[in-house]
Amino acid sequence: MASTAATRAAVGASKVVKPIFSRDLDEAKRRVRELYRAWYREVPNSVATFQLDITTRQGRDKVREMFDKNKHVTDPRVIDMLVIKGKMELQETIHVWKQKTHIMRYFHETETPRPTDFLSKFYSGHDP
Amino acid sequence: MLRLPTVGRALAGAAKGSLAPSNTVRTPVRAASNMVEVFVDGKPVEVEPGTTVLQACEKVGVQIPRFCYHERLSVAGNCRMCLVEIEKAPKVMWHTLIVWQPVAACAMPVMKGWNILTNSDKTRKAREGVMEFLLANHPLDCPICDQGGECDLQDQSMQFGSDRSRFSEGKRAVEDKNIGPLIKTIMTRCIQCTRCVREIAGVEDLGTTGRGNNLQIGTYVEKMFMSELSGNVIDVCPVGALTSKPYAFTARPWETRKTESVDVLDAVGSNIVVSTRGGEVMRVMPRLNEDVNEEWISDKTRFAYDGLKRQRLTQPMVKDSSGQLTPSTWEDALTRVAGALQGVQGSEVAAIAGGMVDAEALVSLKDLLNRMNSENLCTEELFPMAGAGTDLRSNYLLNTGIAGIEDCDLLLLIGTNPRYEAPLFNARIRKSWLHNELRVALVGRSVDLSYTYDHLGEEAAVLQELANGTHPFCQVLSSAKRPVVVVGSSSLQREDGAAILSAVSTIAQNARTSSGVEEGWKVLNVLHRVASQVAALDLGYKAGVEAIRKNPPKVLFLLGADAGCITRADLPKNSLVVYQGHHGDVGAPMADIILPGAAYTEKNATYVNTEGRSQQTRVAVTAPGMAREDWKIIRAISELAGVTLPYDSVDEVRSRLAEVSPNLVRYDDVEQANYFKQANELSKAVNQALLAAPLVPPQLTAKDFYMTDSISRASQTMAKCVKAITEGANAIDEPSIC
Amino acid sequence: MAEYANIVRRALGQVGGHGGIRGLLLQLFRVNDVKTGTLVGTDKYGNKYYEDTKHYFFGRHRWVIYTTEMNGKNTLWEVDGSMVPAEWHRWLHCITDDPPTTHPPVPKKFLAETHQFNVSGTSQQYVPFSTTRKKIHEWVPPKVGSQ
Repeated sequence: MASTAATRAAVGASKVVKPIFSRDLDEAKRRVRELYRAWYREVPNSVATFQLDITTRQGRDKVREMFDKNKHVTDPRVIDMLVIKGKMELQETIHVWKQKTHIMRYFHETETPRPTDFLSKFYSGHDP
Repeated sequence: MLRLPTVGRALAGAAKGSLAPSNTVRTPVRAASNMVEVFVDGKPVEVEPGTTVLQACEKVGVQIPRFCYHERLSVAGNCRMCLVEIEKAPKVMWHTLIVWQPVAACAMPVMKGWNILTNSDKTRKAREGVMEFLLANHPLDCPICDQGGECDLQDQSMQFGSDRSRFSEGKRAVEDKNIGPLIKTIMTRCIQCTRCVREIAGVEDLGTTGRGNNLQIGTYVEKMFMSELSGNVIDVCPVGALTSKPYAFTARPWETRKTESVDVLDAVGSNIVVSTRGGEVMRVMPRLNEDVNEEWISDKTRFAYDGLKRQRLTQPMVKDSSGQLTPSTWEDALTRVAGALQGVQGSEVAAIAGGMVDAEALVSLKDLLNRMNSENLCTEELFPMAGAGTDLRSNYLLNTGIAGIEDCDLLLLIGTNPRYEAPLFNARIRKSWLHNELRVALVGRSVDLSYTYDHLGEEAAVLQELANGTHPFCQVLSSAKRPVVVVGSSSLQREDGAAILSAVSTIAQNARTSSGVEEGWKVLNVLHRVASQVAALDLGYKAGVEAIRKNPPKVLFLLGADAGCITRADLPKNSLVVYQGHHGDVGAPMADIILPGAAYTEKNATYVNTEGRSQQTRVAVTAPGMAREDWKIIRAISELAGVTLPYDSVDEVRSRLAEVSPNLVRYDDVEQANYFKQANELSKAVNQALLAAPLVPPQLTAKDFYMTDSISRASQTMAKCVKAITEGANAIDEPSIC
Repeated sequence: MAEYANIVRRALGQVGGHGGIRGLLLQLFRVNDVKTGTLVGTDKYGNKYYEDTKHYFFGRHRWVIYTTEMNGKNTLWEVDGSMVPAEWHRWLHCITDDPPTTHPPVPKKFLAETHQFNVSGTSQQYVPFSTTRKKIHEWVPPKVGSQ
């Protein structure tokens, strides 16, 4: 088992690195799909539990958006790490360790965009 | 005190060269190298003969505790804190082996082969004993002492003192003295180190009375101790006996944030440290720069900081229909300015730059106006434009440099009072007069310069005689080996400024040829009074507002112009005046639109001092209210006026500065300028007659020194100084705490 | 039976005690409560103070029927607890059993001549302000007329 893992890693990359969970990209992708499915199922529960003022559809769109944000990642180790983080978030959501505001933070409703051009920076403050 | 860098370097080079081949064997010092070898805790070190034990220890990196010794003061050797044990080369004197001899390290020159023990039992015991004596009469009021946290006695008693005292007698108490509104005295804390008594950059007002236990520091008679450099005794005092009065009980050194910056209240550009706490400047202290201010600063630099908190412009203002200035928003004020700029021809726009404007603001304002097709950019200070004018950089710089005064042997001051126009330059002159036998001569009103000088007369006609060679002083001038001529910028403000500059240029050129000094030596110097002038002239501003007076503009942009060169009476009725600056002083009340800028402690900015050294200030506190950095305001106007300047960050502005004048961004470096002969030839073309009026610099006595610009005019401390000088120290009632 | 008759009698007594149906309804709408008792006294503003220890338990046995106009303010519908002056406040809140009618208050210089009611929420309310020194004193432009 260990030897096969080693050989597979050696085939994938010339430099052998220790995998976190997944031995190759396919396995990592499987883990991502599992996580996505878990989130997808969890969204209606969360909307009900937290009494969120969004529809299930909106919540699922947001989940999709969050997954799509990292779709350029191809390193299985990085993917694994992101999956671990996603699982932590999911657990916090399921167990209601989060509060409503923490969930709604994904939607960036209260954040004002930072000024980018010189003049609006000048108007907004000393050194934004 | 003796600074001999060239000799030292030559000796060091010789020593290195001679010792290089035989480095394995510890040979006795060669006669050729003339160096003395001593040992500090067993470590060998080669020093010049005449070096003190303390300096030799410092060369190896061993710090000896001291109170009375100060690098820049003469050696007194009275505190005895620096006692060390010297283990001499075995020496029998009168059939006795000398074993233990405590030696005051600050005053004892080293001898060949000595082994200095800086951490032996006997040394430590000696220090402990001295500390016990010092503390026997020192009050235990560190918690309420302003020096607490930066006190030499506190630090050294922790490090070298004993944990108990054998003195059970009562402590000595000394009456405090009122020596003016700047320095607070708590004389019981004095440990009689006599640092303040020894001459500090030309101040010799304090003295000692009594002997032994009754020794007191004071002014002999109850009088004020107010010179332009008096604040330096605060830094020099190792304990809390002399502290700053405005700073008393306001902050502790460990709670302040220190920012290294540059002073702009005169043209010297003293290096300072700005201590801030909670967005408020708590005090200003000097920073070491051997080439500019050594470690001293003038009283204006040190104590005018409270002017930064008063009379500030904190929000944009515009005049409403009734003519009253009312607070407004940036959008409104900038739109109005931009609209006014768009509505007029380029030639109808003009700008005046004041005395405390940074190079970044100057270059952006010049770029803005040039894009509007205007060339009417002036500085408040006049400079004669006839002859070479400001085209040759050597014409308007203090070419010799401030430190260069120490190398000269004859100094001719013309129409200036350096004591109040540039106190640290005067301190250099005094130092050189004291140690290098510098001979000083003065043309202009006779003033107290704190050293002796030959007064050649008041009239400008004396200059003509000096230039012709008919004046008796010319013999002295021609026999000088390294002459220096310094003309004050105030004397160039006169109508015959060009003629004065021309005459001075001729005097300098004649002195140069007769002295036969090497090519690199500069003779002609101009001593400026305001910090922005050199940068403005480097950037191509016109000196003087004559052009604006002749051709009154429709839109006048005042960039920190507070000297009142242009008044409403000089302008047409419907003209628009925009004032951008940090203080409501002279310029702001006459303006239609006020744009609040940042003061020198509130921006990252470039200033060029009178010798052409560019230095930068740093942000110590954020600008108050809605005030912004000056170049940003101009950049914002340019965008609204449709001629966007191509820089968004301070780095981009600086690369623009480098395009215009590369020396402006070579920080802490003096760009040499050397076209004296050409400048002199061009100046000969000036046919202007010298006026008969005497040369009188505007700052004659200490009274004129304290309030010269918008910051010091807003300062209450400076107002107290003026009051104390005119009415006496007792006129100011200070709450007597402690 | 006698109990019910008693209740009816008290109900009718409420009508009579408040000056008819109109008075009863007015009182009901003003303070949502109707009570009858013995009138202990009236202060100079017209607030009437009642007591009934027989039918009400301690704490509800003293009450006030507010005046309709006090200090120039119409208080018909806007009644406020702070309309009770200090000397009656003691009695009303059972700090003492002696009403100021029988035991007039000892004159003190801190006692107000006319009772002020609470000004919170009005333009005369106290607003806390900072007493610390300003870090930056801004420039005040000169007034046009003063020049």
